[in-house]
Amino acid sequence: MNPKPYLLFIIAIVCCVGMRVYAQSVPLKGKVTDQAGNPVIGATIKIQHSSKGTTVGADGTFELSVEANAVLEVTAIGFDPARVNVANQTTITITLTENKKELNEVVVTALGVKREKRALTYSTQEVKGATLVEAKEPNIVNALSGKVAGVQITSSSGTPGSSSRIVIRGATSFYGENQALIIVDGVPVNNDETGNLNSGPGTNRLADIDPAIIENISVLKGAAATALYGSAGARGVIMITTKSGTGVTKKPSVTFSQDVSFETPWLPEVQDKYAQGEYNTVTKQYEYFNGEDKKTSSSWGPLMDTLTVNGQKLKKYNQLKDFFKTGITSNSTVSVNGGNGLSDYFVSYSYLKQTGTTPKTDYDRHALFAKYNTKILNNLTSTFQLNYSSSQNDRLPEGYILEAPIWTVLTAPISWNPLPYENADGTQRVFRYSRNNPYWVLDNIYNKATVNRFIPVITLHYTPTNWLTITERMGADIYSEQDKYRESRGSAANPPGRIIEQNLNYRQFNHDFIVNATKDVGSFNLNLLLGNNVYSAYNQTEYAKGTGLNIDDFDNIGQASAITYNETHYQSRKVGFYAQANVDWKRMFILSLTGRYDGSSVLSRDKSFYPYGSVAGSFVFSELLSPAVTDVMNFGKIRLSYATVGNDNVRPYQLNTPYQLPQGSGDAAGVAGIIFTNYAFPFQGQTGYLLSQTLGNPNLKNERLNEVEVGLETNFFHNRLGLEASYFVRKTKDGIIPGVPIAPSTGYAGTTVNSAQMQNKGLEILLNAKPVQSKDFSWDMTINFTRIRNKVLAIYNGQSQIGNGFTSIIVGQPYGAIVGTMFKRTASGQLLIDDAGLPFSDSTGVIGDINPDWMGGISNTFRYKQFSLSFLFDMKKGGDIQNNVDGYGYFYGTPKATEDRADRVVPGINASDNKPNTTVVTGQDYWRRLNAVTESIIQDGTYVKLRTISLSYDFGKSLFPNSFVRSASFIVTGRNLWIYSPHFTGGDPEVSSFGSSSGSQGMYSFSTPTSRSVNFTLKVSF
Amino acid sequence: MNKVIYIIAIAGCLLVGGCKKFIDVNKDPNRPSSVQEPLILAPAELVVTQSLYAGNVSTIIQEYVQTMALNQPVPNSGTYFMVQSDMNGDWTVLYATCLNNLARLDSVATLNGNTNYAAIAKILEAFCWGQGTDLWGDIPYTQALAGAGNYTPVYDKQEDIYKGIQQLLDDAIADIAKQGVVLPGDDDYLYKGDMAKWQKLAYTLKARFYMHLTKAPGYNAATQADLALQALDKGMAANDDDLKFPYQGIEGQENIWFQTFLPGSTFILASGFVDTLKARNDPRLTYMVKPAKETGLYTGRQIGSAPGSLEAYSRPSDFYQGANAFNYVVNYSEALFLKAEATLIKSGFAAAQPVYQQAILSHMTKLGVTSGAISTYMTARGTLTAANALQRIMEEKATANFLSIENFTDWRRTGFPVIKKVLNGSSEVPRRLLYPQVEVISNPQPQQSARLTDRVWWDQQ
Repeated sequence: MNPKPYLLFIIAIVCCVGMRVYAQSVPLKGKVTDQAGNPVIGATIKIQHSSKGTTVGADGTFELSVEANAVLEVTAIGFDPARVNVANQTTITITLTENKKELNEVVVTALGVKREKRALTYSTQEVKGATLVEAKEPNIVNALSGKVAGVQITSSSGTPGSSSRIVIRGATSFYGENQALIIVDGVPVNNDETGNLNSGPGTNRLADIDPAIIENISVLKGAAATALYGSAGARGVIMITTKSGTGVTKKPSVTFSQDVSFETPWLPEVQDKYAQGEYNTVTKQYEYFNGEDKKTSSSWGPLMDTLTVNGQKLKKYNQLKDFFKTGITSNSTVSVNGGNGLSDYFVSYSYLKQTGTTPKTDYDRHALFAKYNTKILNNLTSTFQLNYSSSQNDRLPEGYILEAPIWTVLTAPISWNPLPYENADGTQRVFRYSRNNPYWVLDNIYNKATVNRFIPVITLHYTPTNWLTITERMGADIYSEQDKYRESRGSAANPPGRIIEQNLNYRQFNHDFIVNATKDVGSFNLNLLLGNNVYSAYNQTEYAKGTGLNIDDFDNIGQASAITYNETHYQSRKVGFYAQANVDWKRMFILSLTGRYDGSSVLSRDKSFYPYGSVAGSFVFSELLSPAVTDVMNFGKIRLSYATVGNDNVRPYQLNTPYQLPQGSGDAAGVAGIIFTNYAFPFQGQTGYLLSQTLGNPNLKNERLNEVEVGLETNFFHNRLGLEASYFVRKTKDGIIPGVPIAPSTGYAGTTVNSAQMQNKGLEILLNAKPVQSKDFSWDMTINFTRIRNKVLAIYNGQSQIGNGFTSIIVGQPYGAIVGTMFKRTASGQLLIDDAGLPFSDSTGVIGDINPDWMGGISNTFRYKQFSLSFLFDMKKGGDIQNNVDGYGYFYGTPKATEDRADRVVPGINASDNKPNTTVVTGQDYWRRLNAVTESIIQDGTYVKLRTISLSYDFGKSLFPNSFVRSASFIVTGRNLWIYSPHFTGGDPEVSSFGSSSGSQGMYSFSTPTSRSVNFTLKVSF
Repeated sequence: MNKVIYIIAIAGCLLVGGCKKFIDVNKDPNRPSSVQEPLILAPAELVVTQSLYAGNVSTIIQEYVQTMALNQPVPNSGTYFMVQSDMNGDWTVLYATCLNNLARLDSVATLNGNTNYAAIAKILEAFCWGQGTDLWGDIPYTQALAGAGNYTPVYDKQEDIYKGIQQLLDDAIADIAKQGVVLPGDDDYLYKGDMAKWQKLAYTLKARFYMHLTKAPGYNAATQADLALQALDKGMAANDDDLKFPYQGIEGQENIWFQTFLPGSTFILASGFVDTLKARNDPRLTYMVKPAKETGLYTGRQIGSAPGSLEAYSRPSDFYQGANAFNYVVNYSEALFLKAEATLIKSGFAAAQPVYQQAILSHMTKLGVTSGAISTYMTARGTLTAANALQRIMEEKATANFLSIENFTDWRRTGFPVIKKVLNGSSEVPRRLLYPQVEVISNPQPQQSARLTDRVWWDQQ
């Protein structure tokens, strides 16, 4: 053994230590405060020309060993940097001045990492919690409406608790999930639509989260922003950060707010002139049917004003006004927060009670949120939080199913008295066959959904050195839902009656371990992040259906003559390893690289792991501009990114072809005739299994989403005016299509393949302006604009079209093309008329597109002393809707348009002799022909809405000057007060009557109309 | 340093190995990958009789033969309006729901040596192929049901499919002859494991398919009649041998016709059927038809007329559409009418007459018509002449085969009962169905341009 290396080693150490001794370092105690004396949390202290440094604690203090005359560099976000010479001091207070002019926005990015917005290489937008609460919407998705560029939000129906759909930058999957991923404090939460056991929308589960607990929402839009989130993040991420107790004085503060709002529905216009009846071809008159012994579905009767029955005129009923009522919502929130420097807490409880405009519908929600931050050790902080919510939603079936009461309400004749709803013999009293009396439905059909949800999260941050942070985060999303549906005997759709009980159990666990290192090397700031994610999701559905009820006023399923029960559960797991490197040179050039390697349980075994990543860069060119220019444009940045994300957007268990329980429901509806063939196994005492009709694909692999994004961010006049624009192109490749149709003569109706290709191109523009800013009066304005173009590039094997609910997926068309029957026309576009004098159809084709041309929002806030007035206009140009209410209505003669029912000659060319048409037809025949051709009910859904207008008065201390009341405010808000929709005949074109799934879009059917409402809020803080 | 690398490597392997195991949770807990024969037979029998034989396609065929009508405005399926997408469901029922499972049942049973199950599977398969080719003509047969092995099966000629059907039935009969030990029990809703009845059914079906080819090119009626008579000797012998699906009337599991005639579907009986019974003073009118709720009269709806009040029309009686009625799929009466027609071809109307009368009697006794009424009717309609023999046989067969798809085949083949184009019909009376759009898109073949009025191979002038 050679002693020399060891000796040299020891000498070296001694020298180093010695040199330090010679340098006479002293311990320094200090505090960093702002000009008001408050500690500046997060300030960093670095010894100039050395790598030593520290960060301040929660109270702004720090300890550091420094040599005499060392110079400290102190930086903090939002403050001007300071250089302080220590001289010979052992204690020091450093005061930083706030940099109001260059207040650099801090944005929460992927995984909860806070970064300055200027350092980001991709597009994000923030919405503050206060803005969300201003919207007075119980559902967070609705609260974001009209505010964020690149985001399309569509509500479904006006029933309380109804779902809303949120899609960022266009659809990326044919049948998989297209809605954005929701993350709360770093943990993904489930946003499935559940709760409706019959037809119509359910509730999207984000509704369980109370908007009042939200500090802010970051919308991360492109794949580069979300590459760290794994595959699900490719659809865009809504990052919700909840409130904390940090940053307040030690005294606990209590805030109480109470909202009351009144809602009235936006009703479609129906004709109010003609009675129930049909055209009599013998007498050539519109004949009156009284709905009792002469029944018909239609209102092609005589004019009410001149109609007399037995010498008496008939009473006119306004069916809509009589049925719908004013809905009332009350929302009470109380929250407490406080802290003592080492720990702080935030607790909030809300109770929302909403009754709907349709009677017997309501939504109740209790939401409790508690968060506790504490410093366990000097360099170990932890956060414990729990979100609990309990809700109950009562609703009725909606859409074009026979049980839906609104179908009958919207199409009932004005000459018919809907009450009493029962005949003397107990049967229902209806003006036509095959429907329920809507008032009978109120007493005999219900759909209840009760949800209890827990979202616990534990986060630990460990900073062993000032440049290293280790984060450990564990979160879960657990909910259990109990759904119950009852339909009494005597219902037209199900005469024996039925009860359905469904229990859903959902459990999701997410674990992240992240190591984050930041170092300054010369003029480079380097940041490296490494992490691991483990994710597991389990959901179980238990479904029991009892058909044939035997006891009235008794709801237990045990009374049913036949009860079937089935249970299914799904388990999926994912593992991911990810890394992100950011290189920032002189705060001018920023390069960002991410990489991730995922493994997913749902893909085939040898293809379950797949890598992906992104590279992005931005250049803050305003740093290079002369001061003269920066006086005008104080900030300018261009950014460019490319990302590729692997995705496993498919349910588990698609690899094999098993047997399954046979269940038939309406085997192949006949043309204009619906056959009810409900069968389920066990059947008459026998169990049975038939082969699944979807051929499994044992070679299923991940799909891929590639995105290029280029953006520009500029601020003018010292942030008085800001303009951001982004342009993106994203392509889905190897897209998974579960159940793509194949020729049934293969023995199977579908199979799962990796062959879909789809593309989205879009432009997002965001403009922020503060035209007026003075002590007493200020005016803020934000305008956002989005234009997205989607195109389906390939489906499977040369197939050019597959169905997707109410729309179709067609190669060369956007996702969401509406296909239906079209009128036959001449080459020049004139209608061809048949020999009966009516236009006709003999072909189907693309007749509409549900995607808008562009969307935008304008929001303005005016502040004058204590008053504040803000309003938000939300607009959408284009976006076709199938107006199914008019579709059926044209047959019945109920929409306002059918008031025009005189005999007429339809302008067009006769198909047989090519001469202009001269045949006279009745109004009834004309409208009924229109009912048969889908083209006639496609309406352009363009709208401009005054989504919210609110006036608030902040009492400040003036109300109770010497009391413990710290602040109080009173707010009046109007929602949906004005809608301009020139082409749509229903009330509100922002509608999707069957819910928030991809296949439900673009259809307006018999659902509760959305409402206009007035809301009064009183908010007091102690 | 080496040690450290070594440790990291092991940890890495464990991690990766552990990860692979952690995500290996993709085995379906909700659906089995293999089941035994009784569990396949029961649902197969239900879907063949309910979804294929009495499903959507059946209601369209009943409109073509003017037994059923929709109470809807023109155009509708009854006035011969059809687009290819209307056939997607029924084609899927034929191949994916019925044939694929029967083929699987056959192979599983053969593998296990359960010859009785194999026989039943073959007989039902033959039945399905028969209905499929009779309605659609040339359809995939030899290349069908291969799953991922062949995504674009070619369409076989109908003649070859008929040969295949006869072969399947012969193989089934041979399987039954093996007298396998394992017998179906309650999983066989149709015959409860009585293999003798299955054998009789196989022979009756052979006879049926022989008779379909009386006008086929290259075949002659006399030969087919001979073959049919030979098969009928071993075929059904009594009403008890009917192939019928029993329903217990449980809520939600009612007879398929009960569900089809629910008010929501707007299906009721057509005037073509009801008026015919009235015109003949057929005593079966009150046994087969219900009076209309609104009027108390026996009224059928004229297809193609403007919609009227739904309850002013009649529905079938509870014998056919009660919640717990049987779904009659193959009737003994049909066997007798086949024999009557074959006898007519071979031996003339005088020899056919007693068989013909026996056939009518079998149906009437099944319905429970009183003997007095029967004999009155026989006096009126029981006599055959050279001029009316075929017509009478076919007309009575149509009544006995109420709601059967066979009536459409018989009309195409013989021209009886006479059917005229309906009011506002958009073409002549159809003679086949359109190919489904799902096939046109996923498996383009030259035959797919066929129109409703084209003739299938055996349907010659």
